[in-house]
Amino acid sequence: MHYIWKEWKENIRGKGLWLALSIIVLISISILFRSTALSFDKGFYVLLINLFDTIIYFIPILCLFIGAFSIFQEKEQKTLIMLLTKKDSYASFLLRKSLGLYTVVLVPILAWFFIYLLLIKFNFELDIKAYFIFILAIAAMSLLFLQMGAAIGSFSTSRMQIIGYTIFVWFYFFFLHDFILLSFLPDVTHENVRLFSIGYFLNPLQTVRMFLETGTGVYSMGHMSRLLQAFMWTKPAFFLLGNLLFWMITSIATAIIFHRKEGFE
Amino acid sequence: MKKLLLFLFIFSITLVVFPEKNSAAENLQATIDSLEEGAVLKLEDKTYEGNIVISKPVTILGSAKTVIKGDGKDNVISIKAPGVTLKKLTVTNSSMNRNSAEEYAGIKIHTNGNVVEHIKITDSFHGIYLSQAHNNKINNVVIKGMGKGEIAAQGNGIHVYYSNDNNLSHNSIEGTRDGMFFDYANNNESYENNISDTRYGLHYMYSDENIFKNNTFTMNTGGAAVMNSNRLLLEGNHFIVNYGNQSFGLLLLQANDNLIKNNTFYMNQRGIYIDQATRNSIQGNKISQNQIGIELWASSNEQIFTENLITENTIPAVTIGGSGENNFWSHEDKGNDWGTSFPLTDLNQNGIGDFPITYQSSLYQLLEDQELSYLFLKSPALGIYEKMNAALVDEKVMFNDPHPLAAAKGNTNLILIAALGLTAVLILLKGRHLLCITFGRNGRKT
Repeated sequence: MHYIWKEWKENIRGKGLWLALSIIVLISISILFRSTALSFDKGFYVLLINLFDTIIYFIPILCLFIGAFSIFQEKEQKTLIMLLTKKDSYASFLLRKSLGLYTVVLVPILAWFFIYLLLIKFNFELDIKAYFIFILAIAAMSLLFLQMGAAIGSFSTSRMQIIGYTIFVWFYFFFLHDFILLSFLPDVTHENVRLFSIGYFLNPLQTVRMFLETGTGVYSMGHMSRLLQAFMWTKPAFFLLGNLLFWMITSIATAIIFHRKEGFE
Repeated sequence: MKKLLLFLFIFSITLVVFPEKNSAAENLQATIDSLEEGAVLKLEDKTYEGNIVISKPVTILGSAKTVIKGDGKDNVISIKAPGVTLKKLTVTNSSMNRNSAEEYAGIKIHTNGNVVEHIKITDSFHGIYLSQAHNNKINNVVIKGMGKGEIAAQGNGIHVYYSNDNNLSHNSIEGTRDGMFFDYANNNESYENNISDTRYGLHYMYSDENIFKNNTFTMNTGGAAVMNSNRLLLEGNHFIVNYGNQSFGLLLLQANDNLIKNNTFYMNQRGIYIDQATRNSIQGNKISQNQIGIELWASSNEQIFTENLITENTIPAVTIGGSGENNFWSHEDKGNDWGTSFPLTDLNQNGIGDFPITYQSSLYQLLEDQELSYLFLKSPALGIYEKMNAALVDEKVMFNDPHPLAAAKGNTNLILIAALGLTAVLILLKGRHLLCITFGRNGRKT
């Protein structure tokens, strides 16, 4: 509990969390203004998809930075050494720190999206299930990139390294991963489509989007061809769960194995 | 005496506990049959057991809670006389049997000049079925189907079969197979209908010269599918979020000489999808934020695209299956407004760009060969893929607009966003400590 409290106090004094939150607030309000012309009954879904498509550019990089700098700060201020000289192992420190990070980042975001729901209520017919799926998608994405950020913070030894790794991870998931898959696309057949599907859904951005769009009923999965059916071999929710587990475990393992206790300005 | 009393007691109990099953239906049917031609029958706020057949021109008026419930074995209401009016009813429970020559419906109309208004239809195979019925008016009808997942097990919202000159307006259809299905039906007019969560919101087969204005299609697998139908007018309709792997706002398949005017195509997988169609005129439409604005297969010729606003689509227009001949991207020296997609100058301020716009792309091959490529249309990697391929692979011309329209002026949203941005920055710079003190007990100024 005191990790959460410590994390909270550290973050509200820094600019990072406020910057992240203000960007999310700004984007969501501007999208709400842009969406006022949409129809009362279906505009809600358009708003959610538009909001997600915009916010997806910011949440990953903000969470990566918050996660990475939060861990790195412990190195800079030598508090990591102090914490680890007690009975704590690095794994236990990382898990507690991650829990603190999740709470500190998710609570304000969820609080904002609760207020946002009240604002939407005046313009559109609400679908609470769809909104819950939207929140789940945002939360999953935040958790995942916070954990990746924590891993970056763990193995980086300088701020420049953090910036470099963070931008690389962001660039990889935004461009490189899909670009590599696009290069393989002409060779995808019914025999190897499942492998391709695993590759596709390893990208958290694609997985979260698919989960949101199918979960809200916006993306129609009807009338699928045999190839597409083989591609979608399980439900989008399970793809998301698998993706979350894979990247969480990978990030935590990377952080524990490659962590460095010292960091310099 | 005691025996007589006992008999009467048991008899009365039997009457109460086992009422005759079809008495209400027979009553309503008998009442309708006993009406004079042109008579008005007012029904009470209760459930009447169907099915009923109307074989004389009468008016049946219900009220808020009047329900006519079929027995699930036939059409709930069959109209077999011209000039019948039905108002304010809930019609439910037609047969769902597909192993029959009969196409079952909540309301089946076989005659001309009927009026069906303010009706709600649920749990029926087809909602309303017009069979060789002309000059009917179907207004303010709400039809609810079984949901988007069910295609074969249910019928269409309104099915118009060999029926001409009907007026369908202000109807709301949700979750049926197709919203409105026109089969060999000509000269029908549809205004301001709202269709969502169906397979095709509108489906025309072999139906000519129909008018379709100001209707809204949202979240269907396909907005409107126009197949083998000619000389239609589609004007002022909204095709919004018809979004799935094979989805489209409007499909023109073997459809010729249609006028597609002033419609909005927003956030569809494909805005307009044209295949084996000729001489269609697409003008004044707003085609924005679709994955593909216009997908034009090479089998389509002589389309005219003029004065459309085609902007913010992932791919503005793509020609697939070889180069289409004689598709015109401008008409009478007026091309299309490509918004922010293509930079354009208009130095002489005549509203027409100073140079033609030619869009080249290599994506056509990928889209043509591999259906999974549609899964990447929202990926930012697509832009890089295009740029890389531009250097390595031969690109093909997707369209050439010789007279592009100069983009419209910016909107007021920009000012709003700028103001909000400035406020956020000010809060961050000047008011952050105040916020810290407000939200965190230990966040004091250092």
